[in-house]
Amino acid sequence: MAKATKNADKPAAVQTVSLTIDGRSVTVPRGSTVLEAARRFGIDIPTFCWHPKLKPVGACRMCYVEVEKMPKLQVSCALEAMDGMVVHTDSDLVKRGRKAIIEFILANHPLDCPTCDKGGECDLQNLTFAHGVDDSRFDFTKYRFVDEGMTTTFDDKRIGPEIVLNRNRCILCYKCVRANKEAFGEYDLGVYERGNIAQIDAAPGEQVDNPFSGNLVEICPVGALTNSDWRYKIRVWLTRTAPSVCNFSSAGTNTLIFGDNHKNHLYRVTSRMNDEIDDGWLADVTRYGYQVVNSPDRLKTPLIKKGGKQVEATWDEALEVIRKRFGEIKDKFGGVCVGAMVAPNLDNASLYGASKLMRTVFKSNNIDYRGYYRMLPGDPESPYMILQSQPFRIADIDDCDLVIAFGSDLVREHHNQYLRLRKAYNFAGTRIFSINPYRVKSADISELELVYGPGTEEAVINGLCLAAAEEGLADKSLANELLSRIEPKTLREAARFCGVPEDKLRVVARSLSEASKVTFFAGEIVARSRERDLIAGALLNLNRLMGITGRGQMAALVRHANSKGAEKLGLLPQPRAGLVDELGMIWGAYPDCAANSTDAMMALIKKEEIKGFLVIGANPMMLYPDQQFVREGLERLDFLVACDLFETATTELADVVLPLASWAEYRGQYVNLEGDVQTASEAMAPLPTAKPGFEITNLIAGVLGTPLYGDRSELDGEIERLLELDSVIPCPDRFMEVKPVSEPKSDGYNVALYIMDDSHHYVHLTEKAPSLANFVSEPYIELSPDLAAHYKIQDGDSIRVESEVAKVILPVRISDHIDNEVVLVPRNFTSKPVTSLLMRKRRIDRVKISKVDE
Amino acid sequence: MTFYSPVITNAADAAKDDRLHLFKYVEDPDQYKIATYEAHGGYKAWKKVMGGMTPQQVTDEVKKSGLRGRGGAGFPTGMKWGFVPKDSPKPRYLCCNADESEPGTCKDRVLMERDPHGVIEGMAIASYAIGCHLMFIYIRGEFGHCIERMEQAMDEAYAKGHLGKNIYGSGYDLEMIVHTGGGAYICGEETALLNSVEGERGMSRIRPPFPAVEGLYACPTIVNNVESLASVPHIINHGGDWYASLGTEKSKGTKIFSLSGHVRKPGNYEVEMGFNLKKMIYDPAYGNGILGDKKLKGVIPGGASTPFLTPDQIDVGLDYESLQTIGSMLGSGAIIVFHEDTCIVWTILKLIHFFRHESCGKCTPCREGTGWLEQIIKRIEEGGGQPGDVEKIDDICGNILGRTICPLGDAAVMPIQSAIKHWREEWQYHIEHKECLVKTKFEFK
Repeated sequence: MAKATKNADKPAAVQTVSLTIDGRSVTVPRGSTVLEAARRFGIDIPTFCWHPKLKPVGACRMCYVEVEKMPKLQVSCALEAMDGMVVHTDSDLVKRGRKAIIEFILANHPLDCPTCDKGGECDLQNLTFAHGVDDSRFDFTKYRFVDEGMTTTFDDKRIGPEIVLNRNRCILCYKCVRANKEAFGEYDLGVYERGNIAQIDAAPGEQVDNPFSGNLVEICPVGALTNSDWRYKIRVWLTRTAPSVCNFSSAGTNTLIFGDNHKNHLYRVTSRMNDEIDDGWLADVTRYGYQVVNSPDRLKTPLIKKGGKQVEATWDEALEVIRKRFGEIKDKFGGVCVGAMVAPNLDNASLYGASKLMRTVFKSNNIDYRGYYRMLPGDPESPYMILQSQPFRIADIDDCDLVIAFGSDLVREHHNQYLRLRKAYNFAGTRIFSINPYRVKSADISELELVYGPGTEEAVINGLCLAAAEEGLADKSLANELLSRIEPKTLREAARFCGVPEDKLRVVARSLSEASKVTFFAGEIVARSRERDLIAGALLNLNRLMGITGRGQMAALVRHANSKGAEKLGLLPQPRAGLVDELGMIWGAYPDCAANSTDAMMALIKKEEIKGFLVIGANPMMLYPDQQFVREGLERLDFLVACDLFETATTELADVVLPLASWAEYRGQYVNLEGDVQTASEAMAPLPTAKPGFEITNLIAGVLGTPLYGDRSELDGEIERLLELDSVIPCPDRFMEVKPVSEPKSDGYNVALYIMDDSHHYVHLTEKAPSLANFVSEPYIELSPDLAAHYKIQDGDSIRVESEVAKVILPVRISDHIDNEVVLVPRNFTSKPVTSLLMRKRRIDRVKISKVDE
Repeated sequence: MTFYSPVITNAADAAKDDRLHLFKYVEDPDQYKIATYEAHGGYKAWKKVMGGMTPQQVTDEVKKSGLRGRGGAGFPTGMKWGFVPKDSPKPRYLCCNADESEPGTCKDRVLMERDPHGVIEGMAIASYAIGCHLMFIYIRGEFGHCIERMEQAMDEAYAKGHLGKNIYGSGYDLEMIVHTGGGAYICGEETALLNSVEGERGMSRIRPPFPAVEGLYACPTIVNNVESLASVPHIINHGGDWYASLGTEKSKGTKIFSLSGHVRKPGNYEVEMGFNLKKMIYDPAYGNGILGDKKLKGVIPGGASTPFLTPDQIDVGLDYESLQTIGSMLGSGAIIVFHEDTCIVWTILKLIHFFRHESCGKCTPCREGTGWLEQIIKRIEEGGGQPGDVEKIDDICGNILGRTICPLGDAAVMPIQSAIKHWREEWQYHIEHKECLVKTKFEFK
C-alpha cells in the first residue's frame, strides 16, 4: 500500500464543513467522508467493504448516496464531505442502486445461512433483509469454487492454522486482505484470479498464521472466513456477552467474551473497539487465549502434599494445613520468614489482598510481583522505576512525527503498540527508528534499524547523546555537564563499543532534535536486562539533554495486564514513600522490616531465612531467568502454597495447591500501562471449587485470625484511595553517571540467547489454548539464515543449545528478519525447561549451538 | 528483432503533408535507430527545452496547443500537468501509459516499434515540465517487440546523453525505466497501472486523490498516453499555436485512427481531428470501402468500449464533440467496421466475454454484472434465450453504468446498450427463433 502523505500541511486548527444530509444540516470536521458525517448523526448508510480503521476502497458499492448536482450515484465511503453539499441517502435512485448491489452479490452467493456460522450476525443477511428484494432474477447455476481433489461443492479450505475459507460465500469486500496488509503489515493473504472468479487465498506456499490473523475472521462481513475456535459450536443468538479486558497484554485491549446461559462455557472473544487502546484489533493471543478457561486440565480441587505426593483435598482441609503450617512459622520464626510472589496479571483486589495479607497479617515486606525478571532493584525510585512511571498514551503514537522503539521486539510483547506504529506510518507518515540487538519484525516500516551488540544498550544511548552534542543539537552547557558524567567521551568510541555505525547514530540524534512530537519507549529487552537501571539512567540523560518528555512521551513499558496496578497498589517489596504513608494510614501500621525482592527472597530461602512462601498465579519455576536458582530456593522451603489455574512446574513443588479462578469468572479491575482502570466483568460462574485471588488471601488471613475484609466494598474503598495517588516519579534534574558495563564472553559460548514470549503466546498461561497451540505448540530456536548456514542447519532440524549450566535440544526455525549472531527461544512451553539455560547474574546469556546428528 | 508489425500506415501522405507529423517517418525502416531519428530532426525539441525553456513555459506551450489525452478520455494534457502541486516536497513521476489493449487499438504499438525515440523525447519533455527525474513507460506485456525497441532506444538515448545525469550540461537529471505489464487490460486504467508499477495487484484506485496529487508511491504522478507524449516534441518544435491551428475548434491537432473490421484496407491513419468517418471508411486512401462490397451494418468509432454508430450516423467528424453529440465517443480512435453479415448478438458476446475476463474483480457491479451478462448473452446466442432477457440485459447494464470505480464497467455496457437500442429486433428474433436473423454469417479466416 502506498505510503500516505505526511501531515505537514495539516491545518493547525480543525476546520469544519457544513452540509445537508436527508434534510438535516450537519457540521463535521473537514476531511470527513459523507459516510462518516452521516453516521455521526445517526443516519445509517449500509456498507460491506468499509472499515473505520482502513482506507476506503469503494469496492462493494453498497454505500451509494445521491448528491445534488452530481449526475451519478456516489459512494459515500470515499466521498469527502464538502460545504454546501446536499446529500440524499434514501432516495429512490439510492434504493434502486442498493437493491442492484444486493442482487449482484447474491447472484453467486450460496444461501446456506442455516449451516453458516455467520448466520445471525451476517452483514449480508441483515442488509438483504433491509435493502434487498426477496426474489432473484439470476436464473443460472451459481458459480462454485471447488478445491482440487474435493468432490463436494462445499468449499472448506484451510488457509491457516485457525482459519477456514469458504470462497463461495466470499463477497470480495477485500477487508481481510486490506487489514492484513494495511493494519498488520502481513502479506500472507491475497487476491487471486480476476473478474467474477476473483478469490481470496493464502499466498502460494504460505499459511495465514500472523499474530493478528483472528481479526480477519471477525471483520469478514459474511461467513467466508471462519475459525475453528467458533465453527459449528453455537449459534450466536444463544450466547450472552460480557465486556472484558485482555489478561495477556499490558495495554488492556477491550474485549467482549461470549458465554451462554446453559453450560458454564466460553465460546469466543471479539473486540470491543476502543480507539484509545486497540482500534478494534485483537492479537491472536487475546482472541484465543480465553480458551484456557475452558480447559479440562484446570485445577478442580485443592491439593495437599501427603507423604511426598499431592492428593486431592477440600478447601477446609487445605486451609487447615495452611493455618497450621503458616501459623507455626509465624509463631516460631516470625512473619518476616514468610514471603509471597504474585502474578502481575491478577486483578487489583487480588494483588492488594496479597499485599495486605503479607503486611498486616505476617507483618512482612517480602512481596514482589516481578517474578520474571532477574536482579531486581529494591529502590522504588531507581532510574528504571522512574522511567517506568512516566505517563504513556498508546493513542498518542498516532500523530507523532517520530517514534523510537528501543529494546523492544514489539510483535512479541506489545501487540497494540506494534499496530499503532504501523498505523502512524501509514496514515501520518511517521518516521520510525528501531534500536534492538537484532532485527525485529517492525523493521519493514523503520526508516533505520539500529542493531547493537547484545548487552551494549547504554553505550547506544550514550552514543545518541554524544552525537547530539557533537552535532550541536543540544544546549552546550548541558552537553558539557553530561560529558563529565558519561563514558566513553566520544561518539566514535561509543559507536565502536555498541557496534552501531556513527552516521546512523547521528541520523537518529538529528531526527530526534527535529521532531515536534516524539514517542520513545523502552521494552522488555531493557526490562529483562540485569543493567536495566544503568540503561534507564542513560535514557533519562538523553531525555534531559534533548527534552523528549516535553514534546511527547518517553517511558519504559510494562509488560503485564496489571503491572501498573501492582505498582500503584504497592506490590513492590519497598513501595514509594507516599504509598507507604498512605498504606500506614489505611492499616494503622506498616511493617518496619527488611524488604526483599524476588531475587533476595530466593537467596533468603536458600539460607533458610524465609521458610514459608505463597505464590499466586506466578510460575517462577518456568519463567524466572535461572531455573536452578529458583529450584534450589523453593525446594528448601518448609512450606509452599501455590495458587494457579493449572498444575505448573511451581505447583509441583508446593505443599498446598489451591485452584485459582480465572479473570473471566469474576468481576475484576485492571490498570493498563497508561494507568487507566478498566473492568473485566464476570463472563461465567467460577468453577465450583476455584476462587479468585482476593478470596484466597482473605481465607488465609481468616484462618490465621484476622480476615482482610468483612465486605468486599471495604477492600475496594482502600484500593480506590491508593489508585488516586499520583504514581509518576519526576525525572531527575541532574545527569546520571553512565559507564558502559561490558561482560567478558566465556570461551566457545558466542551466540547471544534471548528468551521471550512467542508472538502467539503469553507466559505459561496460553499453552493450553488449542487455537494458539495450532499456531505454535512446541518451543523452537529462531536464528538467522547465516547462522543456520554456518552450522549447516535447515528449518526443522534439531540442534543442541548449550549454556554453561544446561543444555536443551530444540527444533530450528530460520528467521526471515534476524541477521546477526542472536538466537531467540520462546518461554511459553512446558515441554522444554528453556529457562534452565539462563544464569541470573549474567547480563547476556550466551550459548553454543551444534547440530544433533541423527 | 525479427518481427516487424506489418500494419498499414499513411506515412506516404504524412511525408507530403506538413500538418501530419506523427507518422512522417514510420515507414523508414531505420527510424528506430537514434542516428536516423536525429537526422530527421529528433531530440531537437528536447534540446530546445533544455536550452532555456522553463517548465512553466513548456506547460504553457502544451496548454496553448490544446492537446488532449489520446488514451481515450481526452483530458487536456497541459491542464493535467498543471495539477501537480507546486509546493510538494515529494518526488514526482511520469508514467507513459503504453498498455495499449483496447480491442481494435494498435496505434501506440506502431509508434513504439517504429519511432521509439519520439516517445522518449516526448516523455523527457513532459518530465521536465512537471519536475520529474524518474520516468516510467509501462508497456503491455504482450508487446515483446515494443519492449525490445523501447529498451534499445532508451540505451541509445542514455549513451547519447539525452537521458541520464546533467543532460546537455543543464544540470537536469532524468532517468528512465521500461516497465513491462503483466497481461491485464485493466492496467491501462491509470490508477491500476500505478498499482501494477508498485508491484501490487492491478486494480483501480478510488479518486480522489488523483494521481497528479498522490499517484505512484503516493507522490505526484502524471500518466499520459504514448500518442499524447509523442505529439509533444512537435508542439515544442512548431509551437502550440501551430498545433492549435490543426483540427477542429475543441479537438486540436492530429490523431491516429486504427481502422479495422470489414474494410478493404485496415490500417493506422493519421488525420486531422474532425476528419470525416465516412471518408475514412470509403476513401481509397484509407479504408477503401467495405469488404466484398457488402452493406455497412454498424461502426464502433473509438475502441470496443464505445457505443455503436449505425450507417445513417457515419457522416460525422472524428473529433471529441461531434461523436459525443450523436451518443458515442472518440475513445482511443479504434474504428471497427461491421458489415451486414455480422450477427450483433455474436459480436456482443465476444465483447462481453472480453470485459468479463478483464474485469479486475474489485467492485461489485462490474465483477458480478459482466459475468451475469455474459451468461445471458451466451444463452441467447446458443438458442436458449428467455422472453424478457433483453429487458433484463438492459436493466443490468443500467445497474453497472456509472456505478463502478473505473471506466471498465461503463466500457463493458455501453456497446451492449447501444446494440440493443439499434438492433432490438435482432435480439428478439434470436430469442424467439433460437437462431440468427443474419443468415449468411461472416466467416473469419
